[in-house]
Amino acid sequence: MKDAMKNDCTKWHDPLVDAVLTGTVSAGLQAHLSACAVCTEQFLAFQARRERLDAMLPLVAQGAEPSPDFRARVLAAAEASSQAKRTPPWLAWGLAGGTALLVAALITSFALRSRTSPPVPQAELATAQKLAQWRAPSDIFLETPGRELLRSTPKLGVSYLPVATKTDKEKRP
Amino acid sequence: MDNLMARSDAEERSAGFAARVAENQRRVFHIAYGVLGNWADAEEVAQEAFLHAYRKFPSLREAEKFRAWVNRIAFRLALNRQRGIRRRLVRDDTWHAAGPGDTVDGSTHAEQCVLLDRLRNEIEGLPEKLRRVLQLSIVEDMDASDVALVLDIPAGTVRSRLHAARKLLLEAMK
Repeated sequence: MKDAMKNDCTKWHDPLVDAVLTGTVSAGLQAHLSACAVCTEQFLAFQARRERLDAMLPLVAQGAEPSPDFRARVLAAAEASSQAKRTPPWLAWGLAGGTALLVAALITSFALRSRTSPPVPQAELATAQKLAQWRAPSDIFLETPGRELLRSTPKLGVSYLPVATKTDKEKRP
Repeated sequence: MDNLMARSDAEERSAGFAARVAENQRRVFHIAYGVLGNWADAEEVAQEAFLHAYRKFPSLREAEKFRAWVNRIAFRLALNRQRGIRRRLVRDDTWHAAGPGDTVDGSTHAEQCVLLDRLRNEIEGLPEKLRRVLQLSIVEDMDASDVALVLDIPAGTVRSRLHAARKLLLEAMK
């Protein structure tokens, strides 16, 4: 008799849990519950558990709230992203490339200028030569009598006598 | 003239988007929080979802379209993040969850925290199909049709999976 009752209770377990969840008790289950104290107790326990579950489940998702400034942060981020988008990428890249070319050109020109001196115009060159050759009229007073002599003084190893010298071969008989 | 028109268009877009954020922010945050169980991660995911929505805003001006789209993107982003941080098991305590102005009874609250932690673990242990439905269904303001739109399944399937999930939880939470 007890085994038969236990088998009957096992059979009613699933409908019992369904009834707790849906809140609808079928006539068959109702009849069993009125006859079975164990299942009635289980039914009540499941009901209490369900109430607790219903209270707890929303907390899993709603246990926290977004911060008060959440909306402002989202809008600021959206605005920032749209501003970044307003500058087309080709324009950004073009500007960056142009700047790089300009900098490279400046660096190259400075490097070349420092290596090679600039060409001097012919007119300036002629003027400079004239200035270098120019002698003041008073320079004549600085001339000394010995200067002319020094000019004609033979250099080392050069004879100033108009005598032909013989070489060693010519001296030998 | 063109400049003026462009500016007014941008302003209109900003105003429309701000209104949509206000309507949806709590739900979107809760969707992310339900999956991640971590306040900071949930905020980041919610913000990211809205930024995605902003980029698509010209095609999402209708309130219903926006709502469905942002729900779905928030859920997907949260799942992606969860995969990335699954190894990080630290979850926020509900002490953090309670607002700064709330007063709580210490012992009751601690007991509730333990239960909540257990419940989260049980949810994590559910089969994926049931878990996804449950995670979305527990969000306030999400009915079966909303969940169905996010998961791309019929609303009837959502109801049957939700029932199955609750049944498993009821058995598990002794």
